[in-house]
Amino acid sequence: MRLTSSLLRRVGEWSKKYANLPDSYIERAMAQVYWKTPKKPNYLPRTIERKRFRFSIHRPWTSQFHRDNAPGKSHKFVHVEPIKDWNFFRGDRVEVLVGKDKGKQGIVKDIYQERNWIIVEGLNTKLECQKIGKKYPSIYMQQEQPLLVTSQVQLVDPSDMQATPVEWRFTEDGHRVRVSVRSGRIIPIPVSSQETIDYKLPQLYLEQAKDTTKADMEKITFEPALKTFEMDIMEKMDIKEDRVPKKFYWY
Amino acid sequence: MAAFMKAVQTRTSMNGITKLFTNLSLTSSVIESPKRAFLRSTPTLHCAFIHLTSERRDLMEFFDDPKNWGKNEVRVGRSWKKDELRLKSNSDLHKLWFVLLKERNMLMTMEEACNNANEIFPNPERLNKVQDSMSNLESIVRERNRAYHLLETGQTGERPGKLVYNCLGLRFYYQMRQYSIPKFVNTKWYKTHLFGFGGYATRKFLRLYREQLWNKKRKARTRNKNRVAMLMRKFPNMDLEAVKEQFPDVDIEKTKASKRAKSHTVPV
Repeated sequence: MRLTSSLLRRVGEWSKKYANLPDSYIERAMAQVYWKTPKKPNYLPRTIERKRFRFSIHRPWTSQFHRDNAPGKSHKFVHVEPIKDWNFFRGDRVEVLVGKDKGKQGIVKDIYQERNWIIVEGLNTKLECQKIGKKYPSIYMQQEQPLLVTSQVQLVDPSDMQATPVEWRFTEDGHRVRVSVRSGRIIPIPVSSQETIDYKLPQLYLEQAKDTTKADMEKITFEPALKTFEMDIMEKMDIKEDRVPKKFYWY
Repeated sequence: MAAFMKAVQTRTSMNGITKLFTNLSLTSSVIESPKRAFLRSTPTLHCAFIHLTSERRDLMEFFDDPKNWGKNEVRVGRSWKKDELRLKSNSDLHKLWFVLLKERNMLMTMEEACNNANEIFPNPERLNKVQDSMSNLESIVRERNRAYHLLETGQTGERPGKLVYNCLGLRFYYQMRQYSIPKFVNTKWYKTHLFGFGGYATRKFLRLYREQLWNKKRKARTRNKNRVAMLMRKFPNMDLEAVKEQFPDVDIEKTKASKRAKSHTVPV
């Protein structure tokens, strides 16, 4: 049971990639604990919390997600088709197979692995009316709607720019690559799949004021010695321990 | 006496200099050196006297740099990984621990202050990053101590414990304590630490308890089976290997043949 509930509340690897947040924060931001037993010996560790979350285009750490999953709100269970390998990454060129933009190609903008969704930039849009207030006229905006990766989009083969199903294969060097089933050509994973809100590429990260510098981080200061941590620190700080500990028994 | 006077004089002059420096850094906005670089560096021994953090020793150390007040975003990097911490000496880890501890105190204070002032606490994930770093650091220290004790004594040197049954027949991990008198003398301990179980009532309780656990398991199994059947009905062209991976305890072939998995529509 615990496994199922953990599966239900799991946030996909590629959906949280862009935000670059630690997992513990995502868990903390998502958690809705209604009751927790006190930390006392006469209580068993039990929590009553929300187990089923509704995932939509709002990220789990946003206030919109909290509004969707407000306490007391329940949703119909959403069946999500299990997928073995995730094929769609940020910056991939894909072709839309359904809807008013059928046959058009676009770039993947957002990934929602919990629902098998992607959002293609500028395609499959819906006009949405945004009301600002009574004084001002409302604004109509084109809002991209999510597309199912299993049936509604396909990757584009770079050799002939046509949509194609893909599979993962190994190269001679042992790298795992996406290969177009139709032409057998490798579809490279775009560089922008590594992009996060903090950097375009990991090596292009600009160090901030509070960060440890890279040189300081990489400096090896560890020297193996036959000491425990405490012994080493006491030696460095000139703390002499001359008290003899009393005899004690573990039980 | 003269030497003492000299020392006092130098101390006062040093104080004057430090004051001058703090004044400088407060007034001039040209100098970009961060005053309170908490996560910046773990100074090694030879440069331990260069403090990047200004020593204020007042309550304002619990608060963030005034530059960051009222900001919507305070960007920081990621937390320390275990592999990076393994490169650092014990004294560096010791220093880093206090740097992280100060940062955590600062963040918690700022969170509280922001809540009280009804303002946004920018980047709350910083707290988790610091906590992750601290737990990683703790595990590295533990790893080193364990290695030392295993090498020297053949034991881990950690607080011992064992799996025992309580009076209700439930198994739990008992963490041992240190006592000044041996076990057989300590009659009070025997009164408060009743391990093991027996009797009709306990056996009945255990039977019912196990039934409850079994029911939970059974319900989970049925739920998974139904879920797979529904998936098969909704997505007829589904990859069955992926289903097998996600629901390892479900018999796929049997579920596929079941009535529940068949859709009323003609498969395309």
